[in-house]
Amino acid sequence: MADFDWPWQYKFPPFFTIQPNIETRKKQLEAWCSLVLEYQRHSKQYGLDVTEAQSSELFYNKQLNRKLSLDAIYTVLEELRKRGNLTWKDKTRKSCTLIWRTYAEWGKMIYNWVVAKSMMNTVCTLYELTSGEDSEGQEFHGLDKDVLIQALRTLEAERKAELMEFDGSEGVKFF
Amino acid sequence: MSRRPAGIAAIKNKSLAQAKYKDKGNEIADNQFAQMGKQMELFKGNLEDFATKHRDDIRKDPEFRLQFQEMCASIGVDPLASSKGFWAEMLGVGDFYYELGIQIVEVCMATSKRNGGLIGIEELRRKVEASRGRNSQAISIDDLLRAIKKLKILGNGFSVHKVGGSFLVQSVPGELTLDHTVVLQQAQEKGNVTKSDLVNLLSWEEERAKRALDFMVKEGLAWVDHQSGNEHSFWFPSLIPDFSNSLN
Repeated sequence: MADFDWPWQYKFPPFFTIQPNIETRKKQLEAWCSLVLEYQRHSKQYGLDVTEAQSSELFYNKQLNRKLSLDAIYTVLEELRKRGNLTWKDKTRKSCTLIWRTYAEWGKMIYNWVVAKSMMNTVCTLYELTSGEDSEGQEFHGLDKDVLIQALRTLEAERKAELMEFDGSEGVKFF
Repeated sequence: MSRRPAGIAAIKNKSLAQAKYKDKGNEIADNQFAQMGKQMELFKGNLEDFATKHRDDIRKDPEFRLQFQEMCASIGVDPLASSKGFWAEMLGVGDFYYELGIQIVEVCMATSKRNGGLIGIEELRRKVEASRGRNSQAISIDDLLRAIKKLKILGNGFSVHKVGGSFLVQSVPGELTLDHTVVLQQAQEKGNVTKSDLVNLLSWEEERAKRALDFMVKEGLAWVDHQSGNEHSFWFPSLIPDFSNSLN
């Protein structure tokens, strides 16, 4: 990604070695967490496959010839999970979903858009919401389905929406 | 002919002469003192005139400020000795350095997260200048060093280390020994250093090199790189220039 604004640490070789000093490591993990989230947000990715990630530029700086080891990647991802920015898709911890915006924030964003479009009290499909022409250019366009459902559930809890299923496809109605 | 011992009269004469000499001596000293006083008065007057006349130059031009400081130092006047009094009122020089001191503290605190409390003087200068806003006067390295010297009054929190041709400013308490400064000097060129570098270039014992490096890791000044080939290397964020003006 040419236009991604890498932080200074990315060009700092020891950034790719988990630091022995606890204070330094704290700063390092913090920097890694925000780098991962920024990177995912920039490339509009929600999922992350750990095996693939090992060779992606995010964890592997080819120019410096430095990469984060698998153990170190897990350290960073676990830190993200503790902060509530990540959920594992299953127990094997092979892939995960990154939450660079909380579900409630997504929900609010979608709800505001629905209000602006006066689509209240109508049912629309989940596909329509994130892949339809109407939502093009919106930040939630192309949102991961798992994330979308979680976001809508936060709206449901506030009685602003209701998830429903019909003819095998899923939809939602906003109030 | 045998010498006669001095008589009473001779002794009296001698002490009289001595008393007269003493009087004369005092008189001369008084004269000189008065003269000196007059000269100092004149000098002070001239210096005041000079300062008033060049007040703006002193405030605005770092080069000129340095020369003025040097001139004052060579005649034993410290314009920063007190914020009250003639100099401060005349020039606002005192305030200038106190203000600078505060800005230095701010920049050092804000960047300590990144560099462990050790910052290159040039980076410090750039950040202080940026934090002062666009319209304020230029700051020189000399200004920074003077302001930091004043900060020492507040305790041992700040120290300056000469590393190669430049300076590093340390803003966390913690004693850097000569060994640590030498390590920084060695690391300055490439931004990093290994244990064998120290052993080979400085003919240090391995134990000494290890102890110095371990200390700097422990203090959060150095980062370890395990992917640098045969040997771990040690990196210092404070030696890597951060070209952004942001404080984080």
